[in-house]
Amino acid sequence: MITVRLMRGAVMARLPSRRRAGAAIFASLAGATVVLLTAALSAHGQANTPSDAEKSKALAAWDDIVIVLRHPRCLNCHQENVPLEGDERRIHIPLVVRGPENGEYNSQGVSAMRCRNCHNVSGNNETSGTPGGGDTGGWRLAPRTMTWQGLSSAKLCEIIQDKSLNDNMDGPALIRHMGSALVMWGWEPGGDRTKVPMLHDDFINQMKIWVAGGMACPP
Amino acid sequence: MVTLNVNGRSVDLDIDPKMPLLWALRDFLGLTGTKYGCGRALCGACTVHIDGEAARSCSIMAGDAKGQITTIEAVSGKVADAVKAAWQRLNVVQCGYCQSGQIMAAITLLSSNNKPSDQDIDLSMEGNICRCGTYVRIRAAIHEAASKL
Repeated sequence: MITVRLMRGAVMARLPSRRRAGAAIFASLAGATVVLLTAALSAHGQANTPSDAEKSKALAAWDDIVIVLRHPRCLNCHQENVPLEGDERRIHIPLVVRGPENGEYNSQGVSAMRCRNCHNVSGNNETSGTPGGGDTGGWRLAPRTMTWQGLSSAKLCEIIQDKSLNDNMDGPALIRHMGSALVMWGWEPGGDRTKVPMLHDDFINQMKIWVAGGMACPP
Repeated sequence: MVTLNVNGRSVDLDIDPKMPLLWALRDFLGLTGTKYGCGRALCGACTVHIDGEAARSCSIMAGDAKGQITTIEAVSGKVADAVKAAWQRLNVVQCGYCQSGQIMAAITLLSSNNKPSDQDIDLSMEGNICRCGTYVRIRAAIHEAASKL
């Protein structure tokens, strides 16, 4: 507002009287517009700022969410270079490594040892016991920046919402990711693998509460 | 009904789409060069190519095998010829049971990397087990094949 008023005074002084009236109206309208826009943006900002109650709910929701994220069905592929297997989290047999993190084979192994050489896109293979199920990207390791092994709850909460690390996902995108085919496998892992210990609908609800509460993290 | 493209021809098979590709190849098409080892995608004896990539035919369901399938009986080309020649010259084979899988995996490796290091070979061939322990000759043969490419 101060800037608008200063500019209006300087410009008006240089104009002939007939045009001054028009310019004054224009400047007043412009000033009013700035005031309204500022008020609207301020109100919008306040609406997006979660209340203390929402933050508390978000923190409680995170405590449920992190149990899922640390479950072997999720954590086993959120590893730095080699996926793990089983609830005991042993090194994948046979040994496979991440491979390049870009292109067609993004984090899907190397050469004759690519994930999709054994893991079916259409689902678990109950004959060979090989788990499968995926989206267009198929079976793969999570990005190296999403290595969750060994992280505290607070650190995991911090990095999962860091768009510079999480493939540029905001809150709604994170919720969508949790409904993707590859993630959904954790709820139907086949064989005698333990399922993620929470109904998927309940998990998504907790995710929504967490996002609505500003994705609050424990200290 | 499942349609497979195997060794350059299209075949319709009246089988369950969840049948392992290996059973379709061996029992329905008579292509017995591809071997059954563990049936769990752990040993590599059943390795074939699907669109040029190595695939464990015991683990890939026939209904998922959408691409061009190539077995040891028909694999060909410059890389395949170099690998087969090196295998023969260095007498890689002992009992031979795993060797069709080894050769198919080696061709996949050399098709994307014609100057593999020892580590490249180890990582690529990790899933192909040889109970006779011919690993040293396998590695030497891959290096020799690479030298011809």
